[in-house]
Amino acid sequence: MKKLAIIPAHNEKESIIFTVEDIKKNAPDFDYVIINDCSTDNTMDICRYQGYNVLNLPINLGIGGAVQTGYLYAYRNGYDIAVQFDGDGQHKAEYLNDMAKCLIDNKLDMVIGSRFIDNAGFQSTWLRRIGIRYFTVLIKLLSGKTITDPTSGMRMCNRKTIEMFANEYPRDYPEPESTMRLIRHKRKIAEVPVEMRDRQGGVSFISPWISVYYMIKVTLAILIERVR
Amino acid sequence: MMTSKFQIILIVGILLILLLILNMIRKRKLELKYSLVWLIVMIMLLFIAGSPEKLAEISKALGIYSPVNMVFFLGFVFSLIIIFVLTVTVSRLSARIRRLAQIVAMLNSYNGEPIEDDLKEKIEKEVQEIVGDKK
Repeated sequence: MKKLAIIPAHNEKESIIFTVEDIKKNAPDFDYVIINDCSTDNTMDICRYQGYNVLNLPINLGIGGAVQTGYLYAYRNGYDIAVQFDGDGQHKAEYLNDMAKCLIDNKLDMVIGSRFIDNAGFQSTWLRRIGIRYFTVLIKLLSGKTITDPTSGMRMCNRKTIEMFANEYPRDYPEPESTMRLIRHKRKIAEVPVEMRDRQGGVSFISPWISVYYMIKVTLAILIERVR
Repeated sequence: MMTSKFQIILIVGILLILLLILNMIRKRKLELKYSLVWLIVMIMLLFIAGSPEKLAEISKALGIYSPVNMVFFLGFVFSLIIIFVLTVTVSRLSARIRRLAQIVAMLNSYNGEPIEDDLKEKIEKEVQEIVGDKK
């Protein structure tokens, strides 16, 4: 069974080596591919120096477009399982094996690594937790399903979902929206408790002002997804 | 109502714009597909300028007091239509560019090929610093 870790990277020179070595050491079953989303620092040079497997986007597509590149790569190269794995060192590779086991054993379409089942590890700021909680409630109201961590970027998909995401994936802030999409398509989703770290370097792309846009955009996207 | 002087100016103006658009299509500066909406709007304007009586009738039927208001209203609606068509086009284009970039990324990939010596020297120190920090 071929498994792939998709690592979107935008200006992650401080953490990209750490991230890839984590996967190589703690989840050796997984191949990996880095998607360099037009970094303006030398992330690309570092990846090449290290001899990493990296795809180089010619224009900046944002997180959704970058991750989709990974799904397209996974689909075209015949991977059975693909997992999104942040390039900033937040995610821990040791959990990939648990997630894969859960996905295979339960014949699921997607497994989300959730910070809020065991509430262990880095829990994000309180303001963000409120935002995340809001999406949990919104998705619960619209679909009846409880997703404790709908914004988690650590998500593992089977072949069927890889194909779906390769064809159609939201452009920015894709997680809650695409989760809703899967639920609407009656795909089987489950969550697995994971711990995350605080980011190992670089800055989050979600600044205070952008989060207002984020909340509005994603709310609208989820609502539209509900009536598709 | 419109004076016949203004009517003539209007018709000549519209005809000039029509010619300009057609000429640009001929020279392939404008794609016919996207200029269709312009052509349709211009022809409708021509019709309005050609028979103001009709315009007066229509505005009366729609319950608009003065035909001039009707002209403004129509101009606004036409502008909105054109902008909307452009928005649709931009959406489609950006989806296509996205897919194109993704395919390019797959062709423009590296997997362990040796890098240029001068770059290697430059990066080596930085990598050691980053790795050293994390240990």
